[in-house]
Amino acid sequence: MTGAMRQVVAFGGGGFSQESGNPLLDDYVLGLTGTVNSRVCFLPTASGDADHYVVRFYNSFRDRARPSHISLFRRERGVPDIRSHLLAQDLIYVGGGSLISLLGVWRAHGIDSILREAYEAGVILCGLSAGSLCWFAEAVSGYHDEVNRVPALGFLPHSNAVHYCDGTRRGAFHRHLLDGMPAGFAAEDGAALRFVGDELVEVVASRPEARAYKLERRGGQILETRLATRYLGAEAPDNVVPLVRQAA
Amino acid sequence: MNARRRILALGGHDFDRRAGNDAICDLIVELADSPRPKICLLPTASGDPEDQIARFRRVFAERDCVPQAISLFRLGENPVDLREELLEQDVIYAGGGSMVNLIAIWRAHGLDEILRECWAEGILIVGQSAGAMCWFAGGITSSQGDPAVASGFGVLPGSLCVHYLSEPVRRRRFLRAIASGELEPGLGLEDQTGALFEDTELSETVSAREGAAVWEVTPENASAREVELASRQLKDSRPPINGTRADILELRQTLATRAARRRASQRRPGRLD
Repeated sequence: MTGAMRQVVAFGGGGFSQESGNPLLDDYVLGLTGTVNSRVCFLPTASGDADHYVVRFYNSFRDRARPSHISLFRRERGVPDIRSHLLAQDLIYVGGGSLISLLGVWRAHGIDSILREAYEAGVILCGLSAGSLCWFAEAVSGYHDEVNRVPALGFLPHSNAVHYCDGTRRGAFHRHLLDGMPAGFAAEDGAALRFVGDELVEVVASRPEARAYKLERRGGQILETRLATRYLGAEAPDNVVPLVRQAA
Repeated sequence: MNARRRILALGGHDFDRRAGNDAICDLIVELADSPRPKICLLPTASGDPEDQIARFRRVFAERDCVPQAISLFRLGENPVDLREELLEQDVIYAGGGSMVNLIAIWRAHGLDEILRECWAEGILIVGQSAGAMCWFAGGITSSQGDPAVASGFGVLPGSLCVHYLSEPVRRRRFLRAIASGELEPGLGLEDQTGALFEDTELSETVSAREGAAVWEVTPENASAREVELASRQLKDSRPPINGTRADILELRQTLATRAARRRASQRRPGRLD
């Protein structure tokens, strides 16, 4: 562990949850841990701890990491001390689902403050969809058939949108920025934003065409800038742990 | 719309054929008092598992109800207007699971206020386990692991402890909380028993399994006193199918896990948000 480098990798979508057979984003976050047999803890809270999701996580990580998960719906069967378990991880991986439910449950169990502690101690945080949105000050989240602005954990001072491929989310993001939402980032499925501290340091993608954007308000206008993106499939980057590819 | 405000709290119930569970489903339909009751499951407390939803749909469809479930974890895929949808029901059934999560999630979605409105409008509220305790001032949850006192929404006064004799550690924690005044006096509900409240008064207790009782628990001399209440006995309308042998359950579990692995390896990318 390198100490106090605070890192978040926010996926617009993708990883084992959505890209079966394409391990590029998951390999990328494993590579960032700087250890070969990383401890990775999955938090499937946003899905209601769906069993099939937990099984998919283990199937995807058991051959290349030391995976574990925490169920907040079945605490009696899980790790006895959540705090020390999370603090001992190299990577905490948050699954997708309902952002509102995720935040409600985490706050009820005090997971939000444990995650803050883990983040400050250098545990890498990553996730997709709700598991990306949660780290930011504000999220543009789709539910109830409309796109809403939801205050999230605020580990990063920016705003965030995921699955940024449809016009509804784009329109909503622009509208909320004009209403005073802090400037932020949007990622398409397959694109991931890597932050060190509050700064975006890199955008990577598991698909050649996946993009991410920086969005900010300039007067009465929204400036949406496409960000330079490194496609992870072009060549094996130096920092990626050699992976054991699973049969598709 | 009649405006009887009713909550049926169940100490332990599932949508299967174990002794008493059928009779409780029949009671719910009888209390719904409608030719083809609309009944909606809120499986929030257990994270909206599909198997629970499927069993719920089956048992109430075969009773000529219109069953429906609302998943707060999948609103992204199935957007609904929660208030409008819930106010149309005759019965709302809150499933069991984690009481702490149930309360946190409902509050985060504003569902506690909507359900209070449904109750005031005369929609029958049924809840089992966590879904029962949440309506009271407090209860005993195992959401954090060891049984602990938890506050509910306080729609009903007093406290509730579920799975009363089947989970002795929970019961002991309840007795201690009543004795010390941490919890208001209340009821201990065994599995397959229920307590019906009209407005905020206990109107009837029922037992659908032989020997299962409802207990009134009050403090007495720094201790707690349990008194068995006389309950109306409910009968299953068909022979129950009781317990499955442990080895058969284990086989099923293994097969289900393997099937899930197979499905996972074949799964196409989906959208989560």
